[in-house]
Amino acid sequence: MRLTPGPARDIDLDTVDLFDLDLYGTGDPHPVWDVMRAEAPLHHQVLPDGREFWSVTRYEDVCRVLGDHREFTSERGTVPTHLGQDDVAAGVLLTSTDPPRHTEVRRPLGSRLTARAVGSWEDSIRRSVTRFLEPALDGEVFDLAEKALLLPAIVTGPLLGIPEKDWEELVRLTAMVAAPSDPHFQLGSEAATLAISHHELVGYVTEWVKDRRHSGAEDDSLLHHLMSVRPGGAPLSDQEIALDGYSLLLGANVTTPHTVSGTVQALIERPEQYGKAQADPDLIPNLVEEGLRWTSAACNFMRYAVTDVPVAGGVVPAGAAVVAWIGSANRDAALFAAPHTFDITRPNAKRQIAFGFGPHFCIGAPLARLTLRVFFEELLHRCDSLDLAGEPDHLRSYFIAGMTHLPITAQKRHTP
Amino acid sequence: MESAPQVIHPRGGQDETARRDDAPSGGPVPLVDEIAALWAELLNRPEVGAEDDFFALGGNSLTGIEIIERVARDHGVRLSVRDFYLAQTPARVAGLIERERSGT
Repeated sequence: MRLTPGPARDIDLDTVDLFDLDLYGTGDPHPVWDVMRAEAPLHHQVLPDGREFWSVTRYEDVCRVLGDHREFTSERGTVPTHLGQDDVAAGVLLTSTDPPRHTEVRRPLGSRLTARAVGSWEDSIRRSVTRFLEPALDGEVFDLAEKALLLPAIVTGPLLGIPEKDWEELVRLTAMVAAPSDPHFQLGSEAATLAISHHELVGYVTEWVKDRRHSGAEDDSLLHHLMSVRPGGAPLSDQEIALDGYSLLLGANVTTPHTVSGTVQALIERPEQYGKAQADPDLIPNLVEEGLRWTSAACNFMRYAVTDVPVAGGVVPAGAAVVAWIGSANRDAALFAAPHTFDITRPNAKRQIAFGFGPHFCIGAPLARLTLRVFFEELLHRCDSLDLAGEPDHLRSYFIAGMTHLPITAQKRHTP
Repeated sequence: MESAPQVIHPRGGQDETARRDDAPSGGPVPLVDEIAALWAELLNRPEVGAEDDFFALGGNSLTGIEIIERVARDHGVRLSVRDFYLAQTPARVAGLIERERSGT
């Protein structure tokens, strides 16, 4: 999807199809969401196959839906690609579990992913990022979107406990989960693509755990930590370990690359912003927040209404699915002045909700923030300027907003 | 999605009832019928036809994991995850097992 919207156009909210993959692959959804926020903050759509969902697009309403598990449960699935099929992992997979069990399991996991805990990884992340950027600096065309798919694995692989030889395959599998309809990743059909990738990822973690049990080896990796925590006094079941391990892999892999690519694209299109950040590296943390707001890689999450819930001037009926459009909330003028302007000095950029909101706020956010800060510090330090070397290709997905290709060339900085 | 009960046409394309009449009771059950019965059990369906689609029957990766395990245990063949989900019907899954057994 285009991150800088084109001109406003006539939009008929009665016929707009928010699940139309073309809208994201080649189209421009921001003008649609602009009209939804203004005219239909609670929007209802029936898909051609009869499935229905409601949408909230305003910042305040998106936070409400994501934040209130009593009215909007996660236990029937949270990803719109599964709309209409109750989540088979409900109550087991952490992201499909409501408090209080959710809180019990999340706390010990989160303790390993706080800003303080991940801070010790900074030097190792910087080395990985430096190595990642090296081939971009030789003056040749560098496809940032394609290469960046591997960046989270490079950074989080050692933290999770995943050997380097497995990274590429795992990244491909997580990309299949995130965008099962994109021609780069699809196998057979959308359903087959999802099943194959779920199966192999869960199978991977299951084997990992089995090997670990067998060898008795211990380390301080996150997957090993999953095996040793005792939320509520008992260890996680093997299925919980496998599903939460899968979820950590997915969360790490499928979003960060798109924030990197989308933010770099925004900087290339706005050399004055690039220059500003280069002149004052203290602006980089805010650049990262603005990049997160701007790209909103996790475009939405879904919840189901527990009872009839009044929201956004209407009522979501009990049992109905509600899609909370994060990509829209992050461009809500009620909170962000001139929301379609990319501004690395935006005073309240930190209020972006690209990591979600409420109990399921991204558990890896501190690590993602650290990785993005280090990435932009190194990029700005090493490159005088960046140029587009071709047209970007966008991901065909209504769930993950991202790119599959972003060819760029970099001018190496000679006086670092 | 409800699937209408289907007549099973095993290899040779005989009619199901005709074959059952001919088969001596206690004789070997065709592989495709065994696979269809396994799916019916794990997908909680009264009946599954040879050409029924795994996903239309409500199949997902968790049932897929169980099916592949059971096939490995009962038939001694470890199906590839990819082949299994791309096959999508009991008839084609039975074909995969046959091919695997004959080593082609």
